[in-house]
Amino acid sequence: MVNIEEHMTKARDLGLENDRVPVEYYTSAAYFRREQDMIFRRAWLMVGRVEDVAEPGDFIVRDVPPLKASVIIARGKDGKVRAFHNTCSHRGVALVCQDRGNALTFRCPYHAWIYRIDGSLSAIPAEQDFPHVDKAANGLAPIHLDTWAGFIFLNFADEPEATLPEFLAGLDTMLDGAPFDQFPFSIQVSDEIDCNWKNLVNAFNEGYHVAVLHNKTLRAAVVPKDNPHLHYLDIKQFGPHSAGTVPRNFDYDPQAPALTWVYAQMLPTSAPDVAAINEGRAGFYEHPGINRLKIPNFGTETITIFPNISIQPLANGYLFYQFWPMSEGRMRTDVRIYSRHAPRTLREEFAMASTLAATRDVVVEDMAMSRLQQIGFESGGKKYQQFGQNEPLLRMFTRDYEAYLAGGGMPRQPDKAEAAE
Amino acid sequence: MNGPDAPEKSLIPQQFAFLEPFVETWGHLRTQDERYAKRQALDQEELEAFHAALAHRLEEVFTHLDQFDPQALPEAEALLFRVALGLTEAAQAVEIFGQPRVPHAPFPHGVAIAWNGYQPH
Ligand code: FES
Ligand SMILES: [Fe+2]
Repeated sequence: MVNIEEHMTKARDLGLENDRVPVEYYTSAAYFRREQDMIFRRAWLMVGRVEDVAEPGDFIVRDVPPLKASVIIARGKDGKVRAFHNTCSHRGVALVCQDRGNALTFRCPYHAWIYRIDGSLSAIPAEQDFPHVDKAANGLAPIHLDTWAGFIFLNFADEPEATLPEFLAGLDTMLDGAPFDQFPFSIQVSDEIDCNWKNLVNAFNEGYHVAVLHNKTLRAAVVPKDNPHLHYLDIKQFGPHSAGTVPRNFDYDPQAPALTWVYAQMLPTSAPDVAAINEGRAGFYEHPGINRLKIPNFGTETITIFPNISIQPLANGYLFYQFWPMSEGRMRTDVRIYSRHAPRTLREEFAMASTLAATRDVVVEDMAMSRLQQIGFESGGKKYQQFGQNEPLLRMFTRDYEAYLAGGGMPRQPDKAEAAE
Repeated sequence: MNGPDAPEKSLIPQQFAFLEPFVETWGHLRTQDERYAKRQALDQEELEAFHAALAHRLEEVFTHLDQFDPQALPEAEALLFRVALGLTEAAQAVEIFGQPRVPHAPFPHGVAIAWNGYQPH
């Protein structure tokens, strides 16, 4: 029998003594500018899944708000996935205007310069008037791209300071083989909120608020009697990334008629599939890097990837959250609910729409609180916010945030000159 | 026959006439975000009346809908399904919050929703 108290990771267990953080980090334009340069232009940023561009010719367009970047991600005829800035080599137009599609070429709508799906420039109308343009050197501007576990990451540095595996610092090996690919279907919910992006990062890094803020939505399902403040268990650090185990209540049995009917059609993403667990086919539950303590009422392993990702593998899929700054006082939250398949019946569509509404409402609670927090910060009565012993991941994020702003944070590569000696 | 001034005949299948009072409110909404907005704008009493009429009879509704190809629903069944989908929002108000809106959220509140690779009803 696991003694839960023993595994409630406290800040002191991780040597994290930074028990408060200046409010200025959350309100100042100067800090936002430093975040753009020192974090978002340096870290690897997750922007999608390989399933989003499954076939040769498939492409998606994604924006990266803190950098004002518009990015084309496309799978070439050679099967390779590449990323480019969405800007024409002629006079700059963001030439791909669809969110997604399948194409062999991209044609700029302004003067019809044509690019291949691999980014190379294939044709210039009236080419004789551009004798100075070397087609071979005027493809779409590439962005460094790598993938891990089917997640697509970009790096906007001219030369990344670390490779993606170096950046992931062991989180990738702990989760090696985790079955994200078994859940290819997603529903996305996005919203823009008047608050600093780190308010949401922090909200997803502690369970302390769950019994209070989510009193009506989550408490009964996830807060167990022996862990009333939903302390994360067995927190593991991987550079600036982390994972922690979160319990739930397996005996949660909603008595409300609509909810009960939904559970009977198709278990929500978050609900334990007891039969599947017992038969050893419950996806993430079987993975050795997940629920290392083997707690019997395992809920999720909450996985944080610096700077702005939270992933929660669940019995019937996983939840993906991403928090993008737009300015110091405005941000965008993207939530994706991943499932095994699209609805096959109207019953399943109804069940998934219900899960969508329920998941959205929980995030709306977090976003609403983050907005109130920003109002409080900007009112200016407090110079600091405070982090408890039970909020170790907030201290950890702040430690690594400060390291990045100071020019560090990335895994150190051997100095090139030194290595050459 | 309906003359030009007669009220438009509702198309909901006859055995679900008990949902007639809710067709006007929920039957013409096409997206989850429209349903979310409707839920926020209604009074709790209206949400409760809808929930009381439908929540215990979902199985009946879907036993009927099971007979049809989901991708080619006749208009009457499509209307019935859209009304039913209203309950995905109304139930949040009735079964979870005890009020139409998420506490502390802005009003009106909307989010952008995308089902990737599936066209919901
Ligand atoms: S700007 Fe693209 S062709 Fe001119
Ligand atoms: Fe929360």
